[in-house]
Amino acid sequence: MNAIADRYRDQGVGSIFLYTHEAHPGEYYPHLTSMEQKLRHARDLRDKLGVTRPILVDALDGACHRAYGSMPNMSWILTRSGVAIYKSDWTDARSVENAIAYFLDVNERRRSGERLAPFRVERLDFRNQDRDAFYTGLERNGPRAVREYRAAFG
Amino acid sequence: MTNSDLLTRYNYDEFVPAKFESWLRFDHSPPLGGPAPDFPLWHLDPAGRGASSGRETSLSAIWSHHTYTIVEFGSFT
Repeated sequence: MNAIADRYRDQGVGSIFLYTHEAHPGEYYPHLTSMEQKLRHARDLRDKLGVTRPILVDALDGACHRAYGSMPNMSWILTRSGVAIYKSDWTDARSVENAIAYFLDVNERRRSGERLAPFRVERLDFRNQDRDAFYTGLERNGPRAVREYRAAFG
Repeated sequence: MTNSDLLTRYNYDEFVPAKFESWLRFDHSPPLGGPAPDFPLWHLDPAGRGASSGRETSLSAIWSHHTYTIVEFGSFT
C-alpha cells in the first residue's frame, strides 16, 4: 500500500492509514483506554511496520471506523467531493491499485470528451493468505492475542 | 448505551466472538455513490517544527486535497 501511495501521488491520489483499535489485544499492545495510548500504539505501528503514508488516528470511541463498517483492515476510496466510490472489507494492494487505475482512466476518458455515467458493480476479489505473517503480527501484540485467535478460529 | 459503555465495548479487552463479532458491520456500511461520512481525526505526525502529535483535522479536510483518497483502516493486526 505504501508503494501504491508513492506511485500515484503525482496523479492526484492521496493515501492515508487510519488507526482504529486493537483488534487482537495482547500483553504488549492491550486494549485502548486513552488517546495518549492510542497515539503511542499508532507511533509504534508506524515505526515497526514501516507505514510511510500519513497516519491519522480515529477518536477513542472509533466514531469514523464504526460509521464505515468497523472491519479490522478495510479500504475505501473517496473522491475530492466526498463520494465513496470503492470499498473492500479487507485491504489488498492489487485490488486497490486496480481500482485506482480504473478511476484515473475514467478521468482521462472524460477529459477526452467521453460522456460517462456511473453504475454499480459487485466483484469478488482475491488476496494472498499468509498465515505465518498473520501469526507473526499476532505475536507482536502478545501470546494472549495468539491464544484467543486460535480459540476463536482454530 | 453511555459513552463509557461504548468506549469499553469498542475497545474490547479480549478477542472472543461475544466481544468482536457485533462490530463486523461491513454490510451496513455507507453505499457507494453517496456522500462519505465525515469525522474528526488526529494527525499522528507533527506538521512541522514545534508542532505536536494529535493535531485535529477531519476526513473531509483530507479528501478535499486530492482527486482520490485511499483510506486504509487498521491497527497492528
